[in-house]
Amino acid sequence: MKEEKLLKEPFLVVFKRWMMSAGGITITLAVVAAIIATIDSGPFIIVNTVVTGGMWALLSLGLSLVFGVMNIPNFAHGEFFLIGSMTAYFVFNPMRLYLNDNPSAFLSAIAPFLGIFLAFLVGALMGIIMEKLIFSPLRKRSRDQWVMNSFLLTVGISVVIINNIQLIWGANFKGIPSYWNVDPLEFLGVRLSVDRLAALLLSVITLAIFWYFMRRTQTGRAVRAVAQDETGALLVGINLNKILSLTMALSAGLAAMAGASLLFMFPAYPTAGLKPLYVAWYVVILVGLGNVSAAVIGGFIVALLQTLTSYYIGTGWEDVIPTAVIIIMLIFKPSGLFGSVVKGVHEQ
Amino acid sequence: MLEIKNINAGYGYLQVLWDVSFKISKGEFIALVGPNGAGKSTTLKTIAGLIKPKSGDIIFDGKNITGTPANLTNRMGISFVSESLNLFTNMSIYENLLLGAFIIEDKQKQLENIDFVFDLFPRLKARRNQLAGTLSGGERKMLAIARGIMSNPSLLMVDEPSLGLAPRLTLDVFDALEVLRQSGMTILLVEQNVNTTLHITDRGYVLEQGQVILEGPSRELLENDHVKKAFLGI
Repeated sequence: MKEEKLLKEPFLVVFKRWMMSAGGITITLAVVAAIIATIDSGPFIIVNTVVTGGMWALLSLGLSLVFGVMNIPNFAHGEFFLIGSMTAYFVFNPMRLYLNDNPSAFLSAIAPFLGIFLAFLVGALMGIIMEKLIFSPLRKRSRDQWVMNSFLLTVGISVVIINNIQLIWGANFKGIPSYWNVDPLEFLGVRLSVDRLAALLLSVITLAIFWYFMRRTQTGRAVRAVAQDETGALLVGINLNKILSLTMALSAGLAAMAGASLLFMFPAYPTAGLKPLYVAWYVVILVGLGNVSAAVIGGFIVALLQTLTSYYIGTGWEDVIPTAVIIIMLIFKPSGLFGSVVKGVHEQ
Repeated sequence: MLEIKNINAGYGYLQVLWDVSFKISKGEFIALVGPNGAGKSTTLKTIAGLIKPKSGDIIFDGKNITGTPANLTNRMGISFVSESLNLFTNMSIYENLLLGAFIIEDKQKQLENIDFVFDLFPRLKARRNQLAGTLSGGERKMLAIARGIMSNPSLLMVDEPSLGLAPRLTLDVFDALEVLRQSGMTILLVEQNVNTTLHITDRGYVLEQGQVILEGPSRELLENDHVKKAFLGI
């Protein structure tokens, strides 16, 4: 079938309107700031921004998705990040030790991917367990005050997971020096470690697959349908429970994957999930709750803010500046930069 | 094809339907009319599976489907176009239609159905990439009906298609229903616009205060004294 586009506005008009919107201004400012900083201090700013930005994007996308589809403000999201890095550590570390004794180029190349992939699976599984064990029973019992109740539940879950991990594996740091024990690559005058490059590629590929899944497959459409109109989704024959489990699994899996990919930067320890949780919330509040594609952009913007802050002002300010920016932004745009209206369960 | 036996249903402690029973045979165009709050929408929601009845039976194609959830009744061939339409407002017309065919796995069949509904509602075809939330009231109704028939239902239930529409658009919607009826679809239409509805349907049921008080061929209902007095103002 041929795509016929009627009522199409000229590109310039659309572009101009976009440039005038809060989102357009922010993106332009961010790009300009990134370019200036790069000229001023070198390309590593961009590299750092895109590497962490990709991972923040994966994290906040999951958080946003769960809020949009299930109306759960998930404060246990950081724990999925932690579960991911724990899994990757326990899968990868024995392999690393084994490979130290029995070197094998091929195995050392793929072992990290195995760890990251397993982290994704374990995270997704935890997501499904959480949905089936906690949210599904709550949903059946009552939907009154859903957002508040689910919020309190997630905070509780977070505490339980953190303390269980501490009980079982102790409070010490579990980290690795690097995934790939090879020399950093020289690229445009920047030394880029293979770990960072792999993290960047992984996040870009995952985002692309995720985008394709949400836009072009019937299941992805069903996920969006549930977010937009639950009754409508039921009426066209979508199995709500399946979609909700899938959403939770995806969200948790992506967070775990981010945790696993960044294990070389953020070692695993019981409260390691808190910082990523705050970052993910910065991002979704900045761009607007429940707006999934904007969360990706927001991930990069927050990463840029953090990189710039830690380079120009000091690492200690890394949380202060983004928070201040969000507070200022909320005064002018209370529903976020790309403001989307999320229909709560209580309104449906 | 569809048989409702002594349904009692409602919301929480509020009972709306009291012993409602009726029957629809294959290929019929049935009207369910009545004043506000008579329980017409509740009846449709109960059949669609959005509400669980307190007692009574719903038999569809020989199977007892009482209490089956809405996503499964859709798979059995019951399509419900609700009063609030429940469109996916942030998706294009095209995507809404594709989701309407969610239970059909065959891609080719999905496209055929889309062609069919685009023939039925040419307006939708012209705006296929427009977001459903930006459509006018009439276009939304058309889209909701179009999405409802994307799954090739054997029974189509439409709730108040004329609500809030200009008279001309109402006629367009009714014309479309007429076309669907001629293609062999069984239709259960709920309407407050009693006069027009009884002119185009085969049979009708009159619901008042949650009970069926009258039934019969639509032409006879039009002549009925109670209907004339209560709904037609003659």
